[in-house]
Amino acid sequence: MLEFDQVSKSYAGGFVALDRVSFKLEKGEMAFLTGHSGAGKSTLLKLISLIERPSVSRVLINDVDLSRIRRKHIPFVRRDIGIIFQNHRLLMNHTVFDNVALPLVIEGFSGKDMVKRVHAALDKVGLLDKARCLPQTLSGGEQQRVGIARAVVNKPPLLLADEPTGNLDPDLSKDIMRVFEAFNQVGVSVLVATHDLGLVARMKYRTLTLKQGKMINDGLLQYQEDPL
Amino acid sequence: MSILFSGRAASGAATHKIGFVRHFVMFWVNHLRQALASLGELWRTPSASLLTIGVLGVSLTLPVTLHLLVKNMQQISDSFTQAAEISLFIKQDSSQTQIDSLKTILQADAAIARVTHISKQQALAEFAAVSGFGPALDYLTENPLPDVLLVLPKNTQAEAARALLNRLNKERIVEYGKLDIDWLTRLDAIVSLLQQAVAVIALLLLGAVVLIIGNTIRLSIMNKKDEIEVMKLVGATDAFIQRPFLYSGVWYGVFGGLLAYLIVETMLVWLQGAILSVTALYGSEFRLMSLSVAEFFALMLLAVLLGLAGSYLSVRRHISAIEPTGP
Repeated sequence: MLEFDQVSKSYAGGFVALDRVSFKLEKGEMAFLTGHSGAGKSTLLKLISLIERPSVSRVLINDVDLSRIRRKHIPFVRRDIGIIFQNHRLLMNHTVFDNVALPLVIEGFSGKDMVKRVHAALDKVGLLDKARCLPQTLSGGEQQRVGIARAVVNKPPLLLADEPTGNLDPDLSKDIMRVFEAFNQVGVSVLVATHDLGLVARMKYRTLTLKQGKMINDGLLQYQEDPL
Repeated sequence: MSILFSGRAASGAATHKIGFVRHFVMFWVNHLRQALASLGELWRTPSASLLTIGVLGVSLTLPVTLHLLVKNMQQISDSFTQAAEISLFIKQDSSQTQIDSLKTILQADAAIARVTHISKQQALAEFAAVSGFGPALDYLTENPLPDVLLVLPKNTQAEAARALLNRLNKERIVEYGKLDIDWLTRLDAIVSLLQQAVAVIALLLLGAVVLIIGNTIRLSIMNKKDEIEVMKLVGATDAFIQRPFLYSGVWYGVFGGLLAYLIVETMLVWLQGAILSVTALYGSEFRLMSLSVAEFFALMLLAVLLGLAGSYLSVRRHISAIEPTGP
């Protein structure tokens, strides 16, 4: 479904963020994207969400070349992709409900239909009782889960997450990953960028590893935690 | 509609089976909701909103005041239409029949509103009464005054009145016609000068209003940069993002227009007292005219259009410039 074909991305000034990266993500597949910071994880996600365009070659989703999507169609592409941010990027002066409802409002939903979907999304991340709260009153893990609810509320077929567990303790991280697994089990393709190698190794999913812009590993990650 | 996922078309709200009427109603309900949301946004930042509305109101007040000035000047000049009255002095040897037939002809003339005949006798009686020469006039053997036809043109503007005078001068029994026109021409010139000055000043001020609103909207776009980025990331189109800002512009227009109206009305009430004491001295019945209902709505429409134009200019430039920088 998602396909990178020898994609390179260099920024002005000559910094090469991605160097001939190729991989395919099938429909309903879940994969991790790992690497040190600066290895190109964020750039890769930006190419998928059309925040950046590749310098060389192309990114395909369902055989549609993303570089051929015109600027005014970008919003419609993004509606098919749920994105979860490291710093969750919630609107702090709006309630949890409003935050989660945002993608639906943008798509033109209203009334009972919208409320039903928002409640379903909040229920999936276990925050139904916090719908009327402001994001500030929630803990970090809860805020991240609100971000997930917002990303999945319009049932996108592809879910991207950029360091979703970046600021969370291991237990909360595990919870978040369980949520992703649950979505994957209902057929959503999930790509999670993270540098939490221990978590990735325990989860036993396909792992793409980037190093200085190159793909150095594609498959299960063999990783042993150092014994203390 | 989904570009990438053909099987996903049914999930969007746009494809839901809803009737045309419901669609139409929802369209307006949504707009109303967004308009109210923008109003709430202004309410939450009262100091900034009040400043903008204040500047807008004062900027609109000046053109409106000038317009009222011109309007009242015109009212004064209209009340002097008698000045454009043409006096036709009839030759002494003309017969009563000739005068009557000329009067009938002139009354049928399309360019003439009214013809009044003042006979020699009436003229003499009036002269005797007004001048104070009453007993002296009795010694006259014959009446030296001519018959006079007072002609009021339909079009009392100086040029038209002068043209009519030239035409009437050619009538056979007319000795000569007289039109006291110079000061009328001057008044006309002053009024039209004022009108043009008002137009220029109004244009400048209205331009300023557009810029002020544009700048205010630009600031509020900058304040919401993060929010706009998030909205773009979850798939909002530029049109969706800019709508609340356009509504803010409209609201600025509405409140600015109302403020301008209130200022002008207050000013009129205040001035009316002063003017009354002046006009009382001259025994005149002059009353200041305020804005008519049509003019009030024109003012509001203008203010709203200016608000919309200012915010549109700003929104066009700045919303597309904000691009999300990263997940």
